[in-house]
Amino acid sequence: MIESPMITFPLLILFLPLISFVILIFFGKKLPRQGDWVAVGSIVTTFILAVYLFVQMLTSYDANFSHGASLSWIDMGAFKIDLGILVDNLTIVMLLIVTLVSSCTHIFSLEYMKGDVRYNRYYAYLGLFTFSMNGIVLADNLISMYMSWELVGVSSYLLIGHWFEKDSAANASKKAFLTNRVGDIGFFIGIMLLYSAVGAFTFAPIFDSISGGEAIAGMTLTLAGLGIFMGAVGKSSQFPLHIWLPDAMEGPTPVSALMHAATMVAAGVYMCVRLFPIFTADALTVIAYIGAITAILAALTAITQNDIKKVLAYSTVSQLGFMVLAVGTGVYTAAFFHLLTHAMFKANLFYCSGSVIHSMHHALHEAHDHDTDPQDMRNMGGFREKMPITYYSMLISTLAIAGVPLFSGFLSKDAILAGTLAFAQQNPVHFLLPLLGFSAAAITAFYMFRLIFMTFHGKPNMKNIFKDIHESPKEMTGPIVLLGALSFFIFYTLPSNFNPIKDKGWFKDLIVPRNSAVPGSLTANEIAEYAHYAHYLAMGLSLFVAAAGILLAVLMYQRQSISSEKLSNKFGFLYHWSYNKFYFDENYNRYLYQPFLRLANSISWLDWEFYDKYFINGFGKLTKSFSKISGKFDYDGIDQGLVDGFGRVSSVSGNFLRNIQTGRLQNYLLFVVAGILVIIIAQAF
Amino acid sequence: MTNLQSLEFFIPELILTITILAALITDLFVKKSKTNMIGWVLGVGLVVVGLSVHNLSSAPPTTLFLDMIVIDPFSSFMKIVIILSTLLVIVASWVNDELEKYRKGEYFTIMGIMVMGLFLMTSSVDIIMLYISIEVVSIMSFVLAAYLKLDTRSNEAGLKYVIYGAFSSGVMLFGLSIVYGLAGSTNYFAIQDTLSSLDGSANPALIMALLMIFAGFGYKISSVPFHFWTPDVYEGSPSTITAYLSVAPKAAGFAMIIRFFHQVFSDSIGLTSNSIGSTDLPWPEIIGVLAVVTMTMGNLVAIQQKSIKRMLAYSSIAHAGYMMLALPVLSMEAVESIMIYLFIYVFMNLGAFFIVIFVKNKTGGESFEDFEGLGWKMPIVGAFMTLFMLSLTGLPPTAGFVGKLYIFKTLVGAGSEFLWLVIAGGVNSVISLYYYFHVVKVMFLGGKRSDVITYPPSTMFGLMIFTAVPSLILGLYWNPLASWVKDSLVFYNQVM
Repeated sequence: MIESPMITFPLLILFLPLISFVILIFFGKKLPRQGDWVAVGSIVTTFILAVYLFVQMLTSYDANFSHGASLSWIDMGAFKIDLGILVDNLTIVMLLIVTLVSSCTHIFSLEYMKGDVRYNRYYAYLGLFTFSMNGIVLADNLISMYMSWELVGVSSYLLIGHWFEKDSAANASKKAFLTNRVGDIGFFIGIMLLYSAVGAFTFAPIFDSISGGEAIAGMTLTLAGLGIFMGAVGKSSQFPLHIWLPDAMEGPTPVSALMHAATMVAAGVYMCVRLFPIFTADALTVIAYIGAITAILAALTAITQNDIKKVLAYSTVSQLGFMVLAVGTGVYTAAFFHLLTHAMFKANLFYCSGSVIHSMHHALHEAHDHDTDPQDMRNMGGFREKMPITYYSMLISTLAIAGVPLFSGFLSKDAILAGTLAFAQQNPVHFLLPLLGFSAAAITAFYMFRLIFMTFHGKPNMKNIFKDIHESPKEMTGPIVLLGALSFFIFYTLPSNFNPIKDKGWFKDLIVPRNSAVPGSLTANEIAEYAHYAHYLAMGLSLFVAAAGILLAVLMYQRQSISSEKLSNKFGFLYHWSYNKFYFDENYNRYLYQPFLRLANSISWLDWEFYDKYFINGFGKLTKSFSKISGKFDYDGIDQGLVDGFGRVSSVSGNFLRNIQTGRLQNYLLFVVAGILVIIIAQAF
Repeated sequence: MTNLQSLEFFIPELILTITILAALITDLFVKKSKTNMIGWVLGVGLVVVGLSVHNLSSAPPTTLFLDMIVIDPFSSFMKIVIILSTLLVIVASWVNDELEKYRKGEYFTIMGIMVMGLFLMTSSVDIIMLYISIEVVSIMSFVLAAYLKLDTRSNEAGLKYVIYGAFSSGVMLFGLSIVYGLAGSTNYFAIQDTLSSLDGSANPALIMALLMIFAGFGYKISSVPFHFWTPDVYEGSPSTITAYLSVAPKAAGFAMIIRFFHQVFSDSIGLTSNSIGSTDLPWPEIIGVLAVVTMTMGNLVAIQQKSIKRMLAYSSIAHAGYMMLALPVLSMEAVESIMIYLFIYVFMNLGAFFIVIFVKNKTGGESFEDFEGLGWKMPIVGAFMTLFMLSLTGLPPTAGFVGKLYIFKTLVGAGSEFLWLVIAGGVNSVISLYYYFHVVKVMFLGGKRSDVITYPPSTMFGLMIFTAVPSLILGLYWNPLASWVKDSLVFYNQVM
């Protein structure tokens, strides 16, 4: 079955990181350099393999290319589970993203994590993560996708809590894991709904049954789709489960770049893209609103944050909202396009912030200052001259995320906004969607330039450490330069089109949208056509909002002609809402966790005081006495009573052991005969 | 098939015979300290035997030596299970310190002869052959149980075993002679033929005969009430032999039961009515009750044990009970589930025994106190033991879970009249959790924590890996095993 490199290479890409994980977790400490070369070597190999696949795909391009292999995992008559991999154009591009960002993270961490106490474990967990992420990407069925999904959750938990001595890191990892569980329950319910109706876990038969329209349709299908989407809400940090992602920034910065910006959080979007054919129109509407709300809420929160990583975290949440919005409005290839461009520029933004934090750490260490927060932007400023590579790379990625022409983000965001606008033109009831989308785009441009100005421009805010700020070493700047370069538009439109504002180009045509399997939905062609009509209007609007956002940032933070303090005082109420993240955590705590804890307390009281005391202990006592009686029968009855009794009589003169033997055996044999007789008599009745 | 023609299909046993002779002869030339070499001879021989069994497993089912034994995929499967367990026990015998005082040449040779007997047990279709093969295995077991000549407990075990075994086979022989009297033939298929044409007048005699025969089988698989020898013999024998007795003869015993009752008394399709053969013997009720009593007794008494070895002895009785749960159904599916359970049981049970052997080598004891703090002193061993305990309990994701899953699936699929067996099996699994996890608790929560970590020597570690990996992997991906068992579910059948 496995004959072509189109199967063997993806399998290698899948399993090499797992092998690296196993080696490092068991033998990492004994290997030279704690085995980091194993991890880096295996991940770079997977990247090369992914590049090979990608080149293969481009040179012999086939829009409907799809290849798979599967293995029967459980076969118990009616209940069958096949595990398999599915390789198509979408998979290959996604593999390329994952292995590229993962390679960069591995290399970046060589310097960033140097001397860490759990260095080998860090690399081991990165391997586990890459394995499970590739597992999601390659899955051809819901079961292996769900398993990889959970594994991703576990490795995220382990990596966020990498510095678990810090309470905040330990808590953040717990919060991330538990919040994700909430979404995963929905995912599982969705899978089971589909399975009970369709009787299969593999994608292809599921799509077939849905388009047949008999096995599952209407409300059930909508619910199944929304259940599955709940998994994406958790993993891709959508409203209302978005609260874990900003806290997850407690993990090492390269991890934030890899998992909490580029790949893991994109898994939810990838899953929606992969399973797009199962979503009904109703489900898609819900998805679109969730995405739009997430995009605007997170963008509003990002405005007032001072922690450099928190700003980036909220911006990630907001961008993920854009992608989900795109899925909801039907232009899911645009969502995937944005996933790709976002992975590159957001990973780079995180590396750059990591570079800044690394250098702040160093400088603060030199100054023997252990109280100042190295991530607080108010302690930065003027770093441009000290860290030129980081600055220019970060600026490029910021231009990309802000949606400025000539940069990658413009193309993908424009495609999303065009799709949204087209959707609203078709269904004017949903006019709110593009409104929220364009507002979020404007705010994005604003807060990203705020970050740039506060960190790199102006005067240094902490002069005592400024002299020790300097550019990071090659292991760190390498990935920064590479990913910064990938924020230019040219890589996404080559080779067919050099026009910087047209989103046509090889990437756009690479992934051909599929029709929804749900009968009565719009076809992919119709959606594309409507989006095309809306394209120029959307482009104009998005250019306008990006320019407005940037301009406002310049006025407030560069020129300082508008005082940010006065403004925040004037809109105090709005400012506080944004600064306190819309009080999500507080409200969840008050209205969700606390009542739940009270409920749990009262139940546990019932449990201890009644159930345990009387029922369990009583049952235990009962079992214990029963087994005592049974044991007594064996020992006291046979050994003591008969054997020893017999033994005691005989052992007046003698040999205890011999008496046991004879005594016991006679009784044993007696029991055999008695047993047969009892059965013979019993069977007669 | 005539005797000469049969030889071609008897190659595995012939190679085994040569191996046994070679082992005997080698023993004459090696010093006492080098007698592990005999184990090598036997081990290599068994590997070759295994390969030739595998070769023959695809041959069409046929009878050999004038309808004395058969060769079919089912017997090949059982033979491979027996070879696997023997190989593992041979390796364990190299490192079992109990045996250090003795020459091991005879020990290994006798084990080889026992394998011969076990092979015949799995494949005999003649009651004479059946009896001879049981005796070969029993007599070799007696010798092995008493192998520690200087240890009175071992002598005691051997002697008890002899008398008990002689008595049981006497009872069985009595039953077999009644069957012969009724049927006028010793061949299974001839018996089947005659019995199915009998009118009901012979039923009382037949029922008595069947139950007496079951006493002999029950003794081999240690089913209640024929189990009394088990704890004493298991405790007194060298631990490697205990481990061996708890798997290989049990596997062969089940093979025998399946062939005898499934082939001769149920027209080889499974039970059509609720009684067996033409008799009105209520087979499902009797075997069902025996199975439930067996596992309940085994589990309840296991809770009371202070010695882990004795606890495992009772637990092996309980596991015989789990496997017996599928016997009342006696369909192909039931046979399949028993085969899967047996295969898995070999690994998890041997693994647990090997760890007991290792701990005894280290500490000189096998009680719960000797396991205190083991999880901290020898984390690898503790982890493996936890895995085996999980698997013996039958918790996912271990192989033991899959074994139980198939047994329960058979019962549930067979209809609601078997539901009480499922419930009893479930309740028993919960009871067994108590004493299996008692071991885990003692290992990780008991005793003092120590910072000095001991690693097992490489042979022992290898054995643990070889038993632990299947105990885990087969719980995650058991499809190859299931399909192998499905392919092996072919019996020689004259009415074909």
